Amino acid sequence: MDILVVLFLITGLFFFLGGAVGIIRMPDFYSRLHPAGKLDTLGIFAMVTGLAIYNLHHFSLEALLLSIKMFLIVFFVFLSSPTATHSIVDAGMRAGLRHWTKKKRKG
Amino acid sequence: MKFLGFIVVCLTGTLLLYGTGEFPDWGDPDSPASIHLSNYYIEKAVEETQVPNLVTAVLADYRGFDTMFETAVVFCAGLACFLLLRDFREKKERFYRHTPTRVILHVKDSKKVLKTGKEFEHMDKDWVPSDLIIRTVCRILIPFIQIYALYVVAHGDFSPGGGFQGGVIFGSSLILLAISYDLKTLVRRIKEKVLGIYAALGVLIYVGIGAICMAMGGNFLDYSKLVPIVPGDPHHIRALGMLGVEIGVGIAVTAAMVIIYINIVSEGKHDEGL
Repeated sequence: MDILVVLFLITGLFFFLGGAVGIIRMPDFYSRLHPAGKLDTLGIFAMVTGLAIYNLHHFSLEALLLSIKMFLIVFFVFLSSPTATHSIVDAGMRAGLRHWTKKKRKG
Repeated sequence: MKFLGFIVVCLTGTLLLYGTGEFPDWGDPDSPASIHLSNYYIEKAVEETQVPNLVTAVLADYRGFDTMFETAVVFCAGLACFLLLRDFREKKERFYRHTPTRVILHVKDSKKVLKTGKEFEHMDKDWVPSDLIIRTVCRILIPFIQIYALYVVAHGDFSPGGGFQGGVIFGSSLILLAISYDLKTLVRRIKEKVLGIYAALGVLIYVGIGAICMAMGGNFLDYSKLVPIVPGDPHHIRALGMLGVEIGVGIAVTAAMVIIYINIVSEGKHDEGL
């Protein structure tokens, strides 16, 4: 049980780390939003799953309800985070921001 | 005239700064607030009000008068936005799209209003409709946000939260509707008159509860005098009084938020905008 919890937490941390590195290292606005939208969502999913399992150590109805509430958080983040990213990208496209391309060196 | 105003502002500022010199330092243990007030609240609040959340007990009970005028300030902000920005003149130009041919019509005559429906579609000059994705997700999320707002209002006396926060969450769920669909949808759902009435009603609930306390023979906002007319445990009467007050605050804040938003984004026209 504990091993499972630790595994989930480490997975979540790994995704969060990837997201943070991606936001800093990616070359432009759109590609930076990509890790922000995807990796953070998955990271939250893994972290909260780990915490929900840890919460069920002493099994009781209240603990189960709390775990279900935690998964509700994940559900709403799953809905809202990618949608927010999508709308930001949409706004960028409408405002006319050009996406990044690999420039060819001349001469 | 400008110079005179500048001098007056400078003088007032100097006076205010001069006044702050007399204040006790931050976190000074010998200041009057730390000697008398804080200790009293911390020791007696739970015992006297039966409300586990100290902050709410202080805000809505001990300093209920203060919070009442805060609500009135929010109401006044909404009212000021309405009075300054609302523009009842008809919009001069409108844009329509002829649906079968996708031709865009620019109507410059303000009296000529085309019937929107199957043939013509209304177009917003400044605002592009959102994606299907955004609209669908917002439609799913809005009821949950509103339930959460009601939860925050109802739990104000047990956990962090209360009327202001709950009202802001509820108001932002309505603003989300305006952002994800368009302003017309929101205005159609909630009429301007209803919003105005709600904003006033919220303040009225707060003042009304205080006035009822006075009518029952106590001080203004002394909830303990409500025992004869409110059913339930008499020990929790203060918590119930606070709940009533918080509901009033929530209604006022919600309505004021939406009034401010609608008037600002549509420049007072209430038909199209962001």
